[in-house]
Amino acid sequence: MRVPQVDLRSGTAPDAAPPPRHGPVLDVQHLSKTFPGTRALDDVSLEIAPGEVHALMGQNGSGKSTLIKLLAGYHSADPGAHAEMDGVPFEVGRSVPDGLRFVHQDLGLILELSAQDNLALHGGFARGRGGRVLWRQQEAETRRVLAAFDVDLDIHRPLAAATPVQRTVVAIAAALQGWDGGGVLVLDEPTAVLPHEEVERLFEVVAEVRRRGTSVLYVSHRMDEIFSLADRVTVLRGGRRVGTYDVGSLDSRSLASRMVGDDIDPDFRATVVEQVDQPVTIEARGIHGKWLRGVDLEARAGEILGIAGLAGAGALELPYVLAGKAGELARGEIRLPTVSPDWYDVQRAADLDIPIVPADRQTEAVVAEFTVGENISLSALRRLGSRGRLSAKDEATLVRSWSRRLGVVSTGPSAPISTLSGGNQQKVILARCLAVSPRVLVLCEPTAGVDIGTRVSIYQIIADLAADGLTVVVASSDEGDLLALCTRILVLRGGVVAEELEAEGLTKNVLIRAIEGAEQ
Amino acid sequence: MSVKTEDEVVTPAVPRESRRTTTSAASRWATLLAFDKVGAVYVWLAIIVVFSIWVPETFPNLMTAKQILNSNAITGLAALSVTIPLAARVFDLSFALNMTLCGVAVAHFVVDGVPLVLAVLLGVLIGLVVGLINATVVVAMKIDSFIATLATGSLIQALITMVTNDTPISDAKLAGGFATIGQTTVGGITLPVFYFAVVAVGIWYLLEHTATGRRLYAVGFNPDAARLAGVKVARLQFLALVTSGVLAGSAGIVLASILGGGSPTAGTPYLLPGFAAVFLGATQLKNGRFNAGGTLIAVLLLGTGTTGLGLANAPQWSGALFVGIVLIAALMVTGLQRRTTLAARPAALDEPSHGDDATAPSKDVSA
Repeated sequence: MRVPQVDLRSGTAPDAAPPPRHGPVLDVQHLSKTFPGTRALDDVSLEIAPGEVHALMGQNGSGKSTLIKLLAGYHSADPGAHAEMDGVPFEVGRSVPDGLRFVHQDLGLILELSAQDNLALHGGFARGRGGRVLWRQQEAETRRVLAAFDVDLDIHRPLAAATPVQRTVVAIAAALQGWDGGGVLVLDEPTAVLPHEEVERLFEVVAEVRRRGTSVLYVSHRMDEIFSLADRVTVLRGGRRVGTYDVGSLDSRSLASRMVGDDIDPDFRATVVEQVDQPVTIEARGIHGKWLRGVDLEARAGEILGIAGLAGAGALELPYVLAGKAGELARGEIRLPTVSPDWYDVQRAADLDIPIVPADRQTEAVVAEFTVGENISLSALRRLGSRGRLSAKDEATLVRSWSRRLGVVSTGPSAPISTLSGGNQQKVILARCLAVSPRVLVLCEPTAGVDIGTRVSIYQIIADLAADGLTVVVASSDEGDLLALCTRILVLRGGVVAEELEAEGLTKNVLIRAIEGAEQ
Repeated sequence: MSVKTEDEVVTPAVPRESRRTTTSAASRWATLLAFDKVGAVYVWLAIIVVFSIWVPETFPNLMTAKQILNSNAITGLAALSVTIPLAARVFDLSFALNMTLCGVAVAHFVVDGVPLVLAVLLGVLIGLVVGLINATVVVAMKIDSFIATLATGSLIQALITMVTNDTPISDAKLAGGFATIGQTTVGGITLPVFYFAVVAVGIWYLLEHTATGRRLYAVGFNPDAARLAGVKVARLQFLALVTSGVLAGSAGIVLASILGGGSPTAGTPYLLPGFAAVFLGATQLKNGRFNAGGTLIAVLLLGTGTTGLGLANAPQWSGALFVGIVLIAALMVTGLQRRTTLAARPAALDEPSHGDDATAPSKDVSA
């Protein structure tokens, strides 16, 4: 269905680009993987056609990750699998054909080094006599490699200074170096680390990769991406292939139900009744910070207040300021009227004990070396036991009751947190916040990297808590979160509240237009 | 198409309760004595057997046991003094020089005729001040603890030279009450062994049974997450360094008493054995956490080995060689174990969240 593109860049490929083939470029049959006690992948097959964008979807625990790791040679497969790349058989898990290249979720870049150095680490340095690096030649090569992706980047500056999407482009360019079309590029959740508004940019890069005649295996959680990007989608559930479909034949509901197994509503909206007669539980005034330029807000008991905005609008900074965890730049005042009439400077606001679910679970929330139980109890230690002594019994009770309430799936409180899926880790962090019985809870990107089933259950938990009188402030770059949860949404632009939207009857389009501002 | 239901997706999640009911006392002992938890104890027992066969006349008797305890109490106190900061992942490289400083200072005071109790209190106060300076440089000035305590160590060295002129302080007055602090024996065991035991129990209680201990570990593993979870990270790091200053200073005073005078180089030999024992200890009992019990086991293991080698008339250098080999082996074995545990992890729970396997072990100092 797709016209293969002619490779325009060079005629140097030794085995000149094969004529349009009809067979799949990558063909994997009967792939299984058994771990002690678990069949992670059960007789899965995958065929990727030349030049297509093939999505691989599934919830956490569906086997996506295992499949990618098998292809990358990280795990060895169970016997019985058969795989071919361009018609040449290879042994999955033992060898990785040259035509199969990977960009993993962490991108595999060294952020302290420049784009040029990172590309050279993958593709080799241009070297002269005595091992001297030919910097001029190296620079020309770097520019040539990056030119195709139309990326505006200082190739000599450390990548730490680059935007996330620029880093992703560098990682893709690095993976594709020394390669003239054909083959398959595997992108493992490339948008998980990208701000929402940069996703479009990534799509252009993926389109460019396809223009070169390279197929893309695109692993993602996010359904909207699949619909705007992919030709076909293979859905995994519980380690098995549910099926492979033309994307055009699906809508988000039918795709979601194939992933989850029952009829789940991707447009879930929690039923939250707005409480106008309830007391105001949090007030903030004159909030300034790195991005914020004077924000006032108030929220009532039982209300779920959304904070929306593009990167740089301050939407993702605000939750940290409210929780008293912002940097030294932050100014402004906060008070909790139902607790005390006193205003607190935001630099002292940590004393108000407003818990926060941070945006980046791995670096800001989870203590990876701790158990599930220790992660849950961390904020509530003060209430367990007396006179400094930590009561193991009190702790176990607290952990058990919160794990049960939030439905944390694990082998028990003493399981290392790293054995949990992203969604379950997020529930653990939520439990940690709730264990201090807060009146106000602040969430930042509450469903980042969380699969759709768990996402809906997290929405439901938050809605239930609000119904019990908890005030929740949610900042998210995912409009879905805000639409599913909020009673009212503050839209920030340029560090100030630009619009206030009632959630009743609000559509995604209206919200996005408000976020992007009037000029769009 | 036959597809598993959602319940099967989460098969590894057998509720803990149902399993615990079938857990017998035997299997609890099995986990308690598992090699990956107390491997050093088995190595220690093996060493005892080896030396009992190698030097049967001098090694396997009560006197040797007492000697091992007496000659390693200071190493133990040194190791314990850096256990708390290391739990919070803060290095105190100045501790050995701090030991020296407090030792020579107290010796100096005693020779000058300051009453013993006051002299000792002043010595501990100096340790406290050193701890406060370390804490200020590391926490308030935000300088990396590794290099910061190296720098303060240099300052302490300057003070030591100022006080002693690089000559040992010795005087008849030091043979009096001052010597009893470290030289008194009870049933053949010197007092420092008891100090070691008391401090070990104190640190064990702090790290295992108080909220502060749990928070110290959280700060050590992920300071950002700890801060966002409401833990006062800076305060804990500050207190950890102050505690370390006091403990190291006290250990230095005991050491000076054992030596019967203020040597300007007394503490330095304890720098490496102290850190070796803590890091070896972290591989024991608590899976990579710095802990008092592990430190105790490590001190006994290393002490038994070096003492045994001495009794066997092995060459002088064999003791240091032994410590180096044991440390590398222990860290390698625990590193390997952690890696295999990760690899055998059920894949159904193995989906990436943000960091996945790559990030988990790299944060671990001991791996």
